Amino acid sequence: MRRAGALVLTVVLVWALASSAGAPYYAGKVVEIVVPTSPGGPSDILVRAIAPYLEKHIAGNPSVRVRNMPGGGTILGSNWFALNAKPDGLTLLAAPVGSTIAYIVRNPAVRYDFRNFKLVAVSGSGAVFYVSPRTGVRRAADLPQARDLVMGSPSPPGNVLTAIVAMDLLGVNPKVVFGFEGVGPARLAFERGELTLDFQSTIVYVTQVQPLVRAGRAVPLMTLGYLDERGRVVRDPAVPDLPTVYEVYQQIHGRKPDGLLRWKAFRALFAAGWVYGRGLWAPGGTPPEVLRELHEAVDRMNRDPDFQRDVAQRLLEGYALHRGDRVEAVVHRNLQITLDVVKFIRDLMRDKYGQEI
Amino acid sequence: MAEAALQALQVFANADRLGLLLAGIVGGIVVGILPGMGGIVAVSLLLPYVFRLDAVAAVAVLTGALAVVHTSDTITSVLIGAPGSAASATSVIEGHPLARQGQAARALSAAFLSSMIGGLLGALGLTLSIPIARPLVLALGAPELFMLTLLGVSFAGSLLGKDVRKGLLSGLMGTLLGLVGPSPAAAQVRFDFGSLYLMDGIPLPVVALGIFGVAEVVDLLARGGSIAQVEGLGRGWLEGVRDVLRHRWLVVRGALIGMWAGILPALGATAGTWMAYGHVVATSRDRERFGKGDIRGIIAPESANNAVAAGDLIPTLLFMVPGSASAAILVGALLRYGILPGPRILTDHLDLVYVIIWSYALASVIGAGICFAASPALARLTRVPFAKLGAPVLVAMALGAYQASQEMGDLVSLVALGALGWFMSAAGWPRAPFLIGFVLVGPMERYFVITKNLYGWTWLARPGVWVLAAALIAPFVWASIQRLRRTRPASEVPSRQSGRRVAVDVFLTAWVTAVFVVGAVLAAQLVPGARELPLLVAGAGILLSVAQLFAVFRGHDAPEEVPEPARVRASLLLLAALAGFVVLTEWVGFLLTAAMFTLWVCLRLARMHPGFAVAYTAVLAVLVGRLASLLSLHLPAGRLGL
Repeated sequence: MRRAGALVLTVVLVWALASSAGAPYYAGKVVEIVVPTSPGGPSDILVRAIAPYLEKHIAGNPSVRVRNMPGGGTILGSNWFALNAKPDGLTLLAAPVGSTIAYIVRNPAVRYDFRNFKLVAVSGSGAVFYVSPRTGVRRAADLPQARDLVMGSPSPPGNVLTAIVAMDLLGVNPKVVFGFEGVGPARLAFERGELTLDFQSTIVYVTQVQPLVRAGRAVPLMTLGYLDERGRVVRDPAVPDLPTVYEVYQQIHGRKPDGLLRWKAFRALFAAGWVYGRGLWAPGGTPPEVLRELHEAVDRMNRDPDFQRDVAQRLLEGYALHRGDRVEAVVHRNLQITLDVVKFIRDLMRDKYGQEI
Repeated sequence: MAEAALQALQVFANADRLGLLLAGIVGGIVVGILPGMGGIVAVSLLLPYVFRLDAVAAVAVLTGALAVVHTSDTITSVLIGAPGSAASATSVIEGHPLARQGQAARALSAAFLSSMIGGLLGALGLTLSIPIARPLVLALGAPELFMLTLLGVSFAGSLLGKDVRKGLLSGLMGTLLGLVGPSPAAAQVRFDFGSLYLMDGIPLPVVALGIFGVAEVVDLLARGGSIAQVEGLGRGWLEGVRDVLRHRWLVVRGALIGMWAGILPALGATAGTWMAYGHVVATSRDRERFGKGDIRGIIAPESANNAVAAGDLIPTLLFMVPGSASAAILVGALLRYGILPGPRILTDHLDLVYVIIWSYALASVIGAGICFAASPALARLTRVPFAKLGAPVLVAMALGAYQASQEMGDLVSLVALGALGWFMSAAGWPRAPFLIGFVLVGPMERYFVITKNLYGWTWLARPGVWVLAAALIAPFVWASIQRLRRTRPASEVPSRQSGRRVAVDVFLTAWVTAVFVVGAVLAAQLVPGARELPLLVAGAGILLSVAQLFAVFRGHDAPEEVPEPARVRASLLLLAALAGFVVLTEWVGFLLTAAMFTLWVCLRLARMHPGFAVAYTAVLAVLVGRLASLLSLHLPAGRLGL
């Protein structure tokens, strides 16, 4: 019975292989995208929304599946990818912010090296700082004078690291309360008045915080900013009317921060965690023609009006989805930070907040 | 408002939409039945298909699936004793004994009816609380949330069982296990033993499946015979309906508890179910039958776990703070359609909110109807010699556990916790406190730390804290007043100084003591901020377990019912076989191991005819493979890559 089954299977396989000669590489194949978090996280949702468009635009229309491999704070799934994914373009990694941050601060558990991967596509996000009107702060340059600044944070390191380093750069010392389940509960605590300083990604800012701003219950201050294609800091395209941390530093200190260790630390976290925080990677050694197919699919997706409406505008918040090969060198450069910067971040967290990361 | 609600109902007058809702319901039912798989698997499974639909249909499919998962998960919990999802473990405690007594149909019908009413009440509550939910959620700060978690823990107090020390030890063990993983307020991972798998803590489905599921199935197989241990079909499903009618207020109370556990960010589905269960036990005068199959212990939690998902929709839709992973996926789907959860959803998309509510209500009714229709046939499964079902059940449990993080660690934890669960059950230790401790320790510590850092000591002066503190101590005061009033005979608790020393009990107690000692030693090496609670838990554990060790050695506190040596041997053999299952999976992969294990069970335990056993195994292997590809589940491949 089973032997007969195996025979039938072999025949079908041979037939399928024979008839697929000349067909696109991806025809009839399954592409698996590894997401190293539980379902429902931001990168998981994004990947699930993009998956149907990848199916549509990769020649041969493979079926695209999401494989969630949570654990080890995103490190487990990323390690798995580095050690197990074959370079055939059928297994990709959607690296969430946690895994890039763990990589740049050289977490000893990390077994993956982005330099060994090829970038398929990358997009980013920005974030906005805002305070409660109780603090008396009306604009970002007032921050150093403010007292009673209390900020919430999930367990460190995480993404709030960027906000903490930004505050340090500006010479602001908010009290940071660790232990929140995520940035959502921290935002609720801000609304309740338990926290007075908060930091949310632009999509959350636009949908959840702007109503509070209009009601006079929150004062927007500044954005992290964004990087243009040549790596220069520009205003956040989603919230262009707010100044960037870079500008606010100049308002407060009267000079540019470039060259300071503090600025390097901020810029490293901001680039790796936000501007290039949503990367889709293929294993190194993936054949160039397969990579080309994936890159061209990204172009075709960007030209698809449905994709523009459903994903680019709504989930990517208008931030561009870059073709990996065009920005790969820039991204790789931004993911390598020097040891003195890593040490600075570690020391800051230990000395100021008693946290070993 | 009523207008918008009626308009939204018209959406379902369309046959296509109704069909899609039905598809979501069937998906939810199937996933619910599979052991250990809950709402999150259902929605992530449906999502790829959903993205091809319009917003209304998409929302209907996802909500439909979410609404029924906690209806059908009861089937597995009651019939097999393996929790269909983590939130239905209470039905293992109360429903499964009923199945063993030949009353599966009654337990199931009571559960389905309570689930349905719980779901409907949840939908109603959702509608009514939309205008008031926002200020209410914002009124509860970190101190109140911390008090609520304490209230949850105190509910567990009523589940400690007759032997309080064993109950406390069980709770402390669960708490210690719940502390594995990242510490909420310090950048340190606790008790990870250098393993990446343990860095995020052990997944709840694995713990629930291990402590309850594996232990039950091993015991059933070792016992031999069928699940139901009495002859005759027992009283059927009408009896269950009558039970629900008799205890109608329990259904309402369960739904209210579940609903609020869903609304508040601190607790979550599993805690809500357990709180409802604890509440029933605490407020019942006659507690004799709890743990041995009390219908009240099914009704309230089943109503609660269906209301939880409805309550969960409030923070999800009004604040974009999803209380569960499945709600987070719903948010993702809404964003993809350009619908932004948050304060404006009520003005911009009120119609869609009502579509969600109606989908929830309709799915609750239809889902319970489908389960109802199936229950007489399903109840008959309890007459089949269990050895014939044992292998597929264990394979399905391993498959379900492995989906939690797709690491061999899931299987190792499943079997290790299964062994622990079996020992606890054999030695008469209650397992409910274990799971409650595991579930609640995280939010409790988190909100304590936040409260302390935000408020210092001023939090004790908040009126909300006082109200909750009153709710916390009221049952104890009530109980002591009652005790004073009733002049009870001094020795109501029969002394059990039988002088027997029960081997499994001695072994378990010694092992538990060792675990607490190791836990204390490891906790002492953690950084301040991460070590306080583990030290407290391990310290209390050492004190209690040493005392228990003395009692056990002196022959006190022996379990009432001791499994006979043959059954112990058979169980230990099965546990060893399961350990072998894990090792073999590591090397030759899941499918081959599952086949070999099935063959072994069929030949050795079910004593099937060899030819039949081989055919049975082949069919099962093909089914597992098909199921895996259909649900896009992953199976461990094994190092040898066979």
